Amino acid sequence: MTGWETSERVLESGGFESRQRVLVPEPVVEASEAGARTLGVTYWQAVDRFTRGGVRASWTGGGGRLKLLGGATLLTFGPPELSFGDGLVSCRHAIQGGLLAIRAGGSVTLAQRPEGEQQELSVTVEEYLPRLAARAGAPPWTGMLYAKGQSPFHAAVSRRYFELLLRSRDS
Amino acid sequence: MNVTVFGATGVVGRALVPLLAEHELTAVSRTARDEPGARWVVADAASGEGVAAALEHADVVYYLVHSLGARDFEEQDRAAAEAVAREAASAGVRQIVYLGGLGADDPDASPHLRSRRETGERLASAGVPVTTLRAAMIVGKGSAAFETILGLVKRLPVMLTPSWVSTPTQPIALDDVARYLAGVCGLEAAYGEGYDTGGPEVMTYRQMIERIAALLGRKPTIVEVPVLTPYLSSLWLNLVTPVNASVARPLVEGLRNPTIAREERIRKLLPLELTPFDEAARQALA
Repeated sequence: MTGWETSERVLESGGFESRQRVLVPEPVVEASEAGARTLGVTYWQAVDRFTRGGVRASWTGGGGRLKLLGGATLLTFGPPELSFGDGLVSCRHAIQGGLLAIRAGGSVTLAQRPEGEQQELSVTVEEYLPRLAARAGAPPWTGMLYAKGQSPFHAAVSRRYFELLLRSRDS
Repeated sequence: MNVTVFGATGVVGRALVPLLAEHELTAVSRTARDEPGARWVVADAASGEGVAAALEHADVVYYLVHSLGARDFEEQDRAAAEAVAREAASAGVRQIVYLGGLGADDPDASPHLRSRRETGERLASAGVPVTTLRAAMIVGKGSAAFETILGLVKRLPVMLTPSWVSTPTQPIALDDVARYLAGVCGLEAAYGEGYDTGGPEVMTYRQMIERIAALLGRKPTIVEVPVLTPYLSSLWLNLVTPVNASVARPLVEGLRNPTIAREERIRKLLPLELTPFDEAARQALA
């Protein structure tokens, strides 16, 4: 696993975009519905394991929830939108709300795509409206919980996710 | 072809045997039997007794044996798989077909799932190509996992469940597993390969409980309790379902990990029409 990169920016819309990626020599998942679903399921496993069960994914018919200690719902997600073809395999969940979102909006996408001779694994959060970030015009310190807590936490989970994907492929 | 089935009297074995009618079939049981459709022999994979005789002239061997319920099931499963692998190599067997567990390749798999993976590895240890099919819950009458869920649904209007009931899984109909197993018999392309055999739908255990309940005309209330450990869960299941705690505990521990197909190669190799969950459950309830 090489080429670890993490980046974050605020879009004109006010939504946040966050992206983490690594490069691997070969595809980790098959280009199929099962492969795309594996990307999503493994990501939620990574959240669970990184937090040692403190934050757990809970699935319902229409999507999923990230729950803190089995109680408070941090984020809710729509059902997985699976796609594969032309080398791209991805699983996208719409963000539908929860304590960590100001309102429904944005998405998280787990993807595998060719990058030259290698494959790129990525986690992309788009148009997310984090409740803990500083609002437009507010002093920066009001967003400390996001900048020093949630944002690095998310990047660390992404890294754990990439490791988990590779471990499960190799086992 | 000469085919030997270990575990012929189990839930999967009973569904498989009729599908192998075109072959010279030897069915292995730990106690003497005489049923039509096969030559029955007595052997015990765990002790190795009778295994060599059961494998005489065999081209393909089905290994559908497990020791779930025994205190040292992991050790017993390893020993039994090694004994069969060794004798199969001596007998010139061309293929061993093994039914393992989906999710068993997860590095953090439960002891039960880890044991399923190790069994596959031990079966391959003597050099005979192993074809491994991996399945999650098998939906069929007598399947321990299915009977556990059914026991809960039938007996409890209100269920306290561990949070792992929200884990995704991909149950498959008993008939579909049997057809996949029969389909790889002697298939050289499948020698030494492993395939995920997921059913047509991914669902959580909670959804499964609700759908089985709907088929039975019930509507249980499900309350997730984050502090319910596998040990407490198994005691609870022992109390309210027909499944023994020693069987229930390894199964419950396995609920933590998602059991979904990571690939679909079997669907290209054997393009079968899979049975929808509700239909499979209906057949199991009949």
